[in-house]
Parts: sequence; structure tokens; C-alpha cells
Amino acid sequence: MGLQKARGALLRLVSVSIVCMGFAQAAPAGMIGTAYLLDDESRAASLSRIEVLLARDDVARQLQAFGVERGMVLERLNGLSHAELLKLEGQLDSQVAGGDIIALIGAVFVVLLILELVGVTDIFKSF
Amino acid sequence: MFVARYARKRSRLLPALFVVLAGCAPIPQTVSELPVSAPAIELDDTPFYPQERYQCGPAALTTVLAKSGAEVSLEDIVDKVYLPGRQGSLQVELLAAARTEGRLPYVIDGTLEAIWKELAAGRPVLVLQNLGVSAIPRWHYAVVVGIDAERGEIVLRSGTDQRRVTPIRTYLQTWRRGGYWGMVVVAPGELPAAVDRSRYFEAIAALEQTGRTEEAAVAWQTALQQWPGDTVALFGLANAYLAQAEYAAAETAYRDLLEHDGKLNAARNNLALALAEQGEFDAAIEEIGVAISANSDPALEKELRSTEAMIRRRKASGER
Repeated sequence: MGLQKARGALLRLVSVSIVCMGFAQAAPAGMIGTAYLLDDESRAASLSRIEVLLARDDVARQLQAFGVERGMVLERLNGLSHAELLKLEGQLDSQVAGGDIIALIGAVFVVLLILELVGVTDIFKSF
Repeated sequence: MFVARYARKRSRLLPALFVVLAGCAPIPQTVSELPVSAPAIELDDTPFYPQERYQCGPAALTTVLAKSGAEVSLEDIVDKVYLPGRQGSLQVELLAAARTEGRLPYVIDGTLEAIWKELAAGRPVLVLQNLGVSAIPRWHYAVVVGIDAERGEIVLRSGTDQRRVTPIRTYLQTWRRGGYWGMVVVAPGELPAAVDRSRYFEAIAALEQTGRTEEAAVAWQTALQQWPGDTVALFGLANAYLAQAEYAAAETAYRDLLEHDGKLNAARNNLALALAEQGEFDAAIEEIGVAISANSDPALEKELRSTEAMIRRRKASGER
């Protein structure tokens, strides 16, 4: 028994040494990495860019025409993950690549894209 | 140390050059313009690794890594980034391999000015070119070691050419087709020449995730000199202490951070871990409890709960 115990301890020691041999150090279990705060920051930035878009007169009018409340859209936007927000932004960006997004693709399309992603409509299947 | 060779200043002629450059339609001025005062630079002491066919990625990366003072061999880097099946290397792999050498890979703005600024700081720039055309691409990595705006020339370590001199106009065409992609490797303790806070911080966080916590700690300290009191940088530094098992230092750093912003539940989670590691289980459980009741982020909720459970388990097994 005692021998087995000692062997177990030795094995543990060896495996710990192997883990520690590399230069890389593993963060302790449960540590929340710095990327979390960075994601938070860039998520907030994405959100505020989309909110600026929604606050425009032409977009706001279009939302009203669709009978959708801006507050509701904002609330759903808030519920989106960062990845989903990035996807939405990516969709918007790919439509324009510089220039004024509203002028180029029109308020209707912007509103539809946003509504689609926040789950109000289901038009763009590829989304 | 780098030796930057500053050629004669003939800056009065530079504006004339820009007129010529502006004439090349597809290249935006924002990309092609160098400040009028920019003197010619060439980093003569940048090493050269002549490459075999297709291995321009490893060769270029080894070049910039060696210039930054990393001890690397081309063979090691080939193993890390060369994909025989694809006869090339991906950009993300170059970034990842730079991290494993303890360097911060930083993607620069796609402009001549950004390249020039890095050269002036002693850092050659690894760039992606497309030497073919868009339809039949021929991707190529090279290292920019010099720019002479007045002569309209760029100097590259490229393939088997130790010093390939290319007209800037030609270079810009190939670089445009490469998406204006370029990177430098920054030693921890240095800042990129024209640093974008978010991009630099992402680079350090990626280094942290690779487990290079020692380098990450130095990089966060450097960041704090540039952005004193920055919450993310302070959090990063505290995390680096925690990952290096410097629990008392980590505890102090998290407490300082929370004093400024008590709502940082992620920091409180990590503070609880630092306390638990020092055997202060009750204090740890109290902190994690505060974080859980204050938290409103569903993604974080899970993490906080599992931290709490883990600390409770450790406390129970410690007291037995």
C-alpha cells in the first residue's frame, strides 16, 4: 500500500513537472482573461455605431413605417452576443465599404437587415 | 541595436513625387503618401534568410524575429508555419508563431507612412504581396527594410534577393492586391510606432492566451506608461501576476482596480481566485458572492458560479 501511495505521488510529481517544463504558463482554472474586457469594449463600440444608425431620421421614419418601436430594437440589440453584433456590422459594411451607408443602400435595407438579425423578421435566409 | 541609415534629405522634391504617385489611380493617397519630412531609411543590419521555393513565409518571419532580438532558427519557424499541402503559410500562423517566440505580432495600418514609422523605430515590416493578378494570385511574403520616397524606391528582403529594390509604384500595386497587409514583431517593453490602443491590447491579450505571461506582464506595464490608469491594462497586468502564481501581487492589483471601478465583476472573480490560492477561502467566497449578486452578464454568470463552486470545494477539502 505504502509503495503504491509513493508511486502515485511520484507520478503526480512527474506529470506536474512535465506540465511546467515549457515556457508557457497556463492561467489558473477559472481565471477570466483580459480578452473579456476587450470584447466588452468592442461590443460596446459596435452597439453604439448601430445605435447611431438607428437614431438617424430616415431610419427612424422607416422603423415607424414598419410599425417597429426603436426601443424594442435597441433592447434586442442589447441581447445580441458580440459575435452576432459583429456579423450585423459585417453585413452592413460589406454592403458599402466606405461611403454613406444610408445613401448607398437606403434606409429600408438597413432597417430590414437590423430587424432580421434581432429576430423581428426572417427575410434573409443566408443571415 | 538597429542602425538606421538616413540618406540625404531632399525633402523639397518630395511633393513632386506625390503628384506622380497620385497619378496612379487605384492606390488611395492615404496609402501612398509619406510625410514630406520623411528621410530615406534602410535597416542594413536586418538579417537575410534566402528561402527555398514557397517558404517565403517562414523566411520572412524569421527575418523580423531575428531583427527583434529573438533567438530563432529558420528550421524551427518552418516547422511552425509552413504547410506543405498548401505550399505556403497563413497570416494567422505567422502571428501565432511570433507569439510562441515571446514577441507581440502587431498588424500595422496599410500605409507607406506606417511602414516608414516602423522602419524609423528600427523594425522591418513583414508584408504580404500578390505578385500575380487577382484572378491568378501568387502570394508572397517579403520584408520591407528600407524606403526612399525621393527616389521612389522600396527595399525588400525577398526570396533569394538580399536587397531587392522595387519602385514604390510597383510595390504598391502588389501590396494592394495583398490587402495592404503588414505586420511587425514588437519585443515586450516596446510599443509599435503608430500604436492603436485596441489592436495593441488585443495583441497582448493573445500573448496572454498563448501562456506567455511573463512577456504579457512586461507588455501591460509598457502599455500603462502610454495609457496610465487604463482599466484593461491594469486588469491585464493583474492577470499576468495571477498566471505567474504571484498571488499577493495579483491581489493588490485587483483590489486597486476594483477601488476605481467596483463593477468589474471579472476582476472580482480573479481576486477571489488569488485569495483562494493564498488559503483565504472565506474572503474569496465573500468576493465571488459580491460579484455574482452584482453581475448582469449571462455569459459571465456561468464563470462566476463555477469559480464559487470550485472555491467551496477547495475550502472543504482543505478543512478536512
